Amino acid sequence: MRTRNLWPYLLIAPTVAGGVFLLLYPLLRAALISVQHFRMGELVRGGARLTGLDNYRELLAAEEFWAVTLRTFGWTAVNVVLIVGLSTAVALMLARLGRRMRVALMSVLALVWATPVIAATTIFQWLFQSELGIVNRLLVALGFDSFQGHSWFADGGAMFGVLVALVVWQSVPFAALTLYAGLTTIPAELYESARIDGGTGPQIFARVTFPILRPMFALVTSLEVIWVFKCFPQIWVLGQGGPDGATTTLPVYAFKVARVLHRYDLGSAVAMLTVAVLAVALAGNLRRMLRQEGAGS
Amino acid sequence: MRTLPAGRSRPAGTRPAGGRAGGGAPAGVPTGAARRRRAVRPGRIALNACAAAVLAVMAFPVYWMFATAFRPTAEIQAGTPGLWPAHPTLEHFAAAVAADGFWTFWRNSLAVTAAAVLLALTVALLSAVAVARMRWRGRGPFIVMVFAAQMAPWEALLVPMFVIARDTGLLDSLAMLTGVYFMITLPFTIVTLRGFLAAVPAELEEAALVDGCTRPAAFRRVIFPLLAPGLMATSLFGFVTAWNEFAFVNVLIIKDRDKRTLPVWLSSFRDVFGTDWGATMAAATLFALPVLVVFLFLQRRVGAGLTAGAVKG
Amino acid sequence: MKHRLLAAAAALALAATAAACGSGSGGGSAAPADSGPVRLTVWIMDGSVTDELVKRFETGYESAHPGVDLDVQIQAWDGIGERTTAALASTDAPDVIEVGNTQVAQYAASGGVRDLSGEVADLGGADWIPGLAQPGNIDGRQYGVPWYAANRVVVYNKDLFAKAGIEAPPRTRDEWLEITARLDRGGDQGIYLTGQTWYALAGFVWDEGGDLAVKEGGRWKGALDTPQALAGMDFYRRLQALGKGPKDADEANPPQHEVFAQGRVAQMISVPGGAARVLEVAPEMKGKLGFFPIPGKTADKPGAVFTGGSDLIIPEASRHPDAAYAVVKALAGEDFQTELAKTMNFVPNRASLAHVLDADEGTAAMARGAANGRATPNTPNWAAVEATSVIKQYMTAVLTGKDPATEARKASEAITTTLNSGS
Repeated sequence: MRTRNLWPYLLIAPTVAGGVFLLLYPLLRAALISVQHFRMGELVRGGARLTGLDNYRELLAAEEFWAVTLRTFGWTAVNVVLIVGLSTAVALMLARLGRRMRVALMSVLALVWATPVIAATTIFQWLFQSELGIVNRLLVALGFDSFQGHSWFADGGAMFGVLVALVVWQSVPFAALTLYAGLTTIPAELYESARIDGGTGPQIFARVTFPILRPMFALVTSLEVIWVFKCFPQIWVLGQGGPDGATTTLPVYAFKVARVLHRYDLGSAVAMLTVAVLAVALAGNLRRMLRQEGAGS
Repeated sequence: MRTLPAGRSRPAGTRPAGGRAGGGAPAGVPTGAARRRRAVRPGRIALNACAAAVLAVMAFPVYWMFATAFRPTAEIQAGTPGLWPAHPTLEHFAAAVAADGFWTFWRNSLAVTAAAVLLALTVALLSAVAVARMRWRGRGPFIVMVFAAQMAPWEALLVPMFVIARDTGLLDSLAMLTGVYFMITLPFTIVTLRGFLAAVPAELEEAALVDGCTRPAAFRRVIFPLLAPGLMATSLFGFVTAWNEFAFVNVLIIKDRDKRTLPVWLSSFRDVFGTDWGATMAAATLFALPVLVVFLFLQRRVGAGLTAGAVKG
Repeated sequence: MKHRLLAAAAALALAATAAACGSGSGGGSAAPADSGPVRLTVWIMDGSVTDELVKRFETGYESAHPGVDLDVQIQAWDGIGERTTAALASTDAPDVIEVGNTQVAQYAASGGVRDLSGEVADLGGADWIPGLAQPGNIDGRQYGVPWYAANRVVVYNKDLFAKAGIEAPPRTRDEWLEITARLDRGGDQGIYLTGQTWYALAGFVWDEGGDLAVKEGGRWKGALDTPQALAGMDFYRRLQALGKGPKDADEANPPQHEVFAQGRVAQMISVPGGAARVLEVAPEMKGKLGFFPIPGKTADKPGAVFTGGSDLIIPEASRHPDAAYAVVKALAGEDFQTELAKTMNFVPNRASLAHVLDADEGTAAMARGAANGRATPNTPNWAAVEATSVIKQYMTAVLTGKDPATEARKASEAITTTLNSGS
């Protein structure tokens, strides 16, 4: 049913129009700013002048940029591994649970998933609050007296940990529910025959479950990579990338440079490089996608 | 055409419609015998204990928000908080609702979010149809572009968006905000909707065409009803995203504070409530509530919808 | 450059007209030209004035100027730099904005602020106290109109002092530590000092003979790693430990006057107006609040303090510059200044009003401390140092047990970089 008429193009026209005006155009403006001398004065008065690649040169020469980039990779890796690992475990668990327990667990997952980011971040601020927070109180009650009034948000490592906990807690539901949905499509007979062949649990997962769900794992992983890499509100609201820049990832860095230091030019350069890094990291996935779609569905 | 799986026409809650997974017994509704047999297995108990632990850990932060919101201040500041509020109170909700501008912000948020989601759904549906049901030159690149659009560095577009809004006279305008949210949610909406659409057998549509329906009529009468759960599930994704956004509000709404939205208000809660964590948690509860309500309302459909949509991805 | 000159000329021309009108019946005379009332937006920072005073000013001003609908918005400190910049860059900005005195320079440099040089005489500028007029004046042009000044004092709870048997406020830092330790017992806190109260640290550093940053041969250099600055930090650490102030927050999170209002805190470092805010929350503490200047190293000289304060600016993008100017004139005029000084215990913007504060214990303490007042490094880029919170993070690091010398070196390097990056 190859359509040779105009219909498909008419159907995608609104999407394309929206994309051009509200995404591509601003993106081009951002790209332009990244090769200009564009600071508070230019924002207010206009009349920015081109400076070529000066901003990129300045950025790549700054130690901080490389430290931030490295940290962003670490941040993404830790979170994505935890999210995919935990949600796989939860999905497998869901598949084995009795009906009532499964519905209960799925409802809770849905509840967490639907909790707005800002509300969730506020909740975590409260949980880890130094004097009245429940986490410190529980730890003290368990005999860890050093946590009396402990400031979780003062130490880089601890802050990083709290943020990972927050992001993983928020991300597991979507990944787990999606993977569980995938699990339910695997015919039971496949498992039967694998078990008859004497496979253990992990072997069955490696030989049957994973290969079948490979595209889904790829999708979930790449979506999580994008989301975690770009994660901004949680980090910003909790500690503005601090303490001492310990939780400053690329998006936070771009925001800080642009909005706090009024170096809009440099901030745009950071953003352009961020997109480039992300595109390279996901290039394989995108190429595979293009190939598949090219072959038709 | 009558072989439609029951789970589609009337989604059976969180019960998957497809095959069953798992190494042990089937995970669907077990027979009485199976349940009894299972109950005595130690592995079963461990599994349920594990699930209960996961459930508790996941649910606790949200629960603690509710619990704090209902506790009197004295109880919040007491040395040892109990698991339940001993003397539940609504005073914090009263304080939150009475805070300056709460209802205005709430209304703005709702209006902007609803408009953005509806717009995104409509536009995405058109694209999803083109992608899932037709073949055309440029289809592959289009899909990849849509996927790639999810990588857009929105935080970096704050300044360009500000400049554009200023130069077109759209500062302090909810319309501009709606447009931005529409665009933020659109790529994901297309990707998901396309999944849902692909899960609806094409034969259904063809049969309708054979029966003399036009293509739009076939879509409206046959596909659309089947797609409803998918649309709802997708709208929820968009709703959550747009409901949360605050960076653009700060840039696009400058002078007219009556046009601010709820997340801005909540993220600056300290200025509003100071050390009053009870009121803060009440505010967070009120903020989360619309999403949770929509979710609970749609949950049965979403469960099934998620299954259908995610599989095709 | 040409563009700026032109704008300046236009502003001057406008200002001249405004002055002509202003000398007559005030802003009201401009109103009939517009259809309907002129809606004026005024941004005032959180903590500058009490809600009650805002309301009073709004009502009073609107009844005196029937053509004006005044919308005073209290702005949160969080993210104010971004909001103000966006406002200056917009086409329909708020008409009057309150700006911290260390921030005026950078906004003026952006070209988005109206030059009010022609208005100085009309505003009574000859009488302005120099410490406030000077930061608003950049390259000989007056962009910021002085609004109020304040420096920090120690606000104390008389009940808790009496309970601990302390008769007189301390006069030296050693005495201060000693009495604070005595006050810090049971459920009471000797002092509520948050870990990131950086201008208090600045005072201690100045006392030791150090500075936050110094200019060497045309280049700025962060100076937190000098022995003097480290000694100042060490004193801060010892003082901070005598209470439960969070090590990772500043005095706005949570607002320290609210903590103080609970009655279990013996002292806090605050502008005298902080006492008014305490009484807003806890009216029953009236009469129980005392003040003394921050003690210095020796009894003959109070501790050095940061002279804080605010200026009022009119954005170029204001749609009603004349009406806006009338509001500025009212806010900076004698009547409101007197009220502001009385209610908030601020130092008013003109020398002739200084007597207003004579009877007040809090402002008397402030005035004694002000004798040793200091300013932050004088460069437009200083605002960026404040915005990056580098000093705050340094303080938190030291207070939570990191090595002071290492952290100070890192912070100083960061300050050096920020101060020397062009804008």
